[in-house]
Amino acid sequence: MAVVKTPVLKVILCGEYGVGKSSIFRRFINNTFLPNADKKSTLGLDHFEKMYRVGDKDVKLQLWDTGGMERIASVTSSYYKYAEAAVLVFSLDNASSFHILSQHLLDIVTYAENAKIFLCGNKSDLEGSCPQVTDADIENFCEQCHNLISSTYKTSCKSGQGLEEMFLDIAQQLVECNRSKIELQRLDHNSFKITHPEPPDEPSCSC
Amino acid sequence: MDEEYDAIVLGTGLKECILSGMLSVSGKKVLHIDRKKYYGGESASITPLEELFAKFNAPAPDETYGRGRDWNVDLIPKFLMANGLLVKLLIHTGVTRYLEFKSVEGSYVYKGGKISKVPVDQKEALASDLMGMFEKRRFRNFLIYVQDFQEEDSKTWKDLDPSTANMQSLYDKFGLDKNTQDFTGHALALYLDDSYLQQPAIQTIRRIKLYSDSLARYGKSPYLYPMYGLGELPQGFARLSAIYGGTYMLDKPIDEIVLDEVGRAVGVRSGTEVARCKQVYCDPSYVPERVHKKGKVIRCICLLDHPITNTKDALSTQIIIPQKQVGRNSDIYVSLVSYTHQVAAKGWFIAMVSTTIETNDPETEIRPGLELLGPIRQKFISVSDYYEPTDDGSQSQIFISESYDATTHFETTCLDVLKIYKRGTGEDFDFSKVKLELGEEEQ
Repeated sequence: MAVVKTPVLKVILCGEYGVGKSSIFRRFINNTFLPNADKKSTLGLDHFEKMYRVGDKDVKLQLWDTGGMERIASVTSSYYKYAEAAVLVFSLDNASSFHILSQHLLDIVTYAENAKIFLCGNKSDLEGSCPQVTDADIENFCEQCHNLISSTYKTSCKSGQGLEEMFLDIAQQLVECNRSKIELQRLDHNSFKITHPEPPDEPSCSC
Repeated sequence: MDEEYDAIVLGTGLKECILSGMLSVSGKKVLHIDRKKYYGGESASITPLEELFAKFNAPAPDETYGRGRDWNVDLIPKFLMANGLLVKLLIHTGVTRYLEFKSVEGSYVYKGGKISKVPVDQKEALASDLMGMFEKRRFRNFLIYVQDFQEEDSKTWKDLDPSTANMQSLYDKFGLDKNTQDFTGHALALYLDDSYLQQPAIQTIRRIKLYSDSLARYGKSPYLYPMYGLGELPQGFARLSAIYGGTYMLDKPIDEIVLDEVGRAVGVRSGTEVARCKQVYCDPSYVPERVHKKGKVIRCICLLDHPITNTKDALSTQIIIPQKQVGRNSDIYVSLVSYTHQVAAKGWFIAMVSTTIETNDPETEIRPGLELLGPIRQKFISVSDYYEPTDDGSQSQIFISESYDATTHFETTCLDVLKIYKRGTGEDFDFSKVKLELGEEEQ
């Protein structure tokens, strides 16, 4: 009767408004891209699970999008809770979206201290011949953060380049460092989600 | 900010966040503002611990308290009834996906200086040390009556019309003594005072059913508590609102609610900026001239390095001290949560003692509660006024929530929210408006 549950790993997207987090999210869900994203169409959907196979193991990556809260206010601290990985997203054609990452990094280490952190330069199709953010900049940043960054990627939501590779690699790295924890997750059911009530059992005899 | 909205919501306390979420889900364009730089207002959980000590002007905590970041201390203690309104709201809105819960381990009631487990089924009634032998049988018969009671089937009412007969007459019908009435009304039906005795019995029956149905959901007690503290609740609803298009602004001072010539709200001003709107929803602190004081509540946060005695070392518990037991008119509540909920460092417990104030010496009023706790490492006392709006908002289109009362659960909180929603929109909240998620997990 033992049911083997597929481990679910929460991955959050962090970064400035407009760097393409929702586009990454959309690529993750159904591999589409909207040039001038019709924001309304993602309303009501803020996380999505997708299965990845790593070696002989299946894991579900559960990707979360901010829902645009960062536009003016800050993202709620709940967003970070239970995250196994955080992807810091910046836009390769926008230097300021890169320089502000240290702020987002601080939020991650504060609210999701166990999360593995990845760096993603998006909009690689706009990088051109004189990039706003150079490879050297990225390397420097990683060094400054005392190697908190596990890996760096370049992606383009417009062409779809680099995205599946990134998620597969993140899945692999999470499985590697979480092996023991994933085993535990199957056992530990101390806290729970609340759901609709089960249909009532047969009335028990009250005598 | 210089835009037009259907509704502007001021304050990010739980009530305002639920309202904001409900309005956004219903297709309204919502701007949600808080003058503070964090979410939650009065319903926030304070973290790190240093911040809590600073808030009460206490010297910084020493190293025995562990890492400050491991603490999330609620300012207003409450539990969720497992089958209550807030849980229904969480499920229907999908906000439940942001949260995890633990069942509260024990529910106790105070009698004659010591605490006993609240008996809720026939077996527990017979085993309880709260009653004598004959009283136990009478109480058991009463519980069976409530259990079998069905509102739509008058045969189960047993020659008593519960919508007209008052609760006192129902107690008398079963011959329950004053002590039993006391813990039934206060620890099972969770009434704050004794005015319910003169109210129709049906209300009390519903409350006892809520208690026992909640108990049946997850075991040990009818109460749930969220991991990382109650502050997660408003944040969850704020996120719901944002996902449905709501705009958030924190750390934004509000200078005035702009009115038109007939006194209707048409916008909100911050400095030189004005956001226009058709309606304003807010907590009492944003409109001091439109609320009046109804009473005062005292809450005492106690940090303990041990569980409460006689609770089987429970890591979470609730104790109710019925008013009569200590010669008062309103109950004293004790709630306990701990490191197991990620709200305190390893080995630590947070107890909260609260009540509605009746005298000029509120600290003495809560002493019976404090005495149950044993040695207290640190104590923070706050006294807050309890406000309610002076009007229903139909003229001004300003809809104001009541302050959080002394009850230890969220039932009154949710009723207030649903009432405000109805006053503001003219309709009951339609739960079917919340879209089913694309990513919904297959069961």
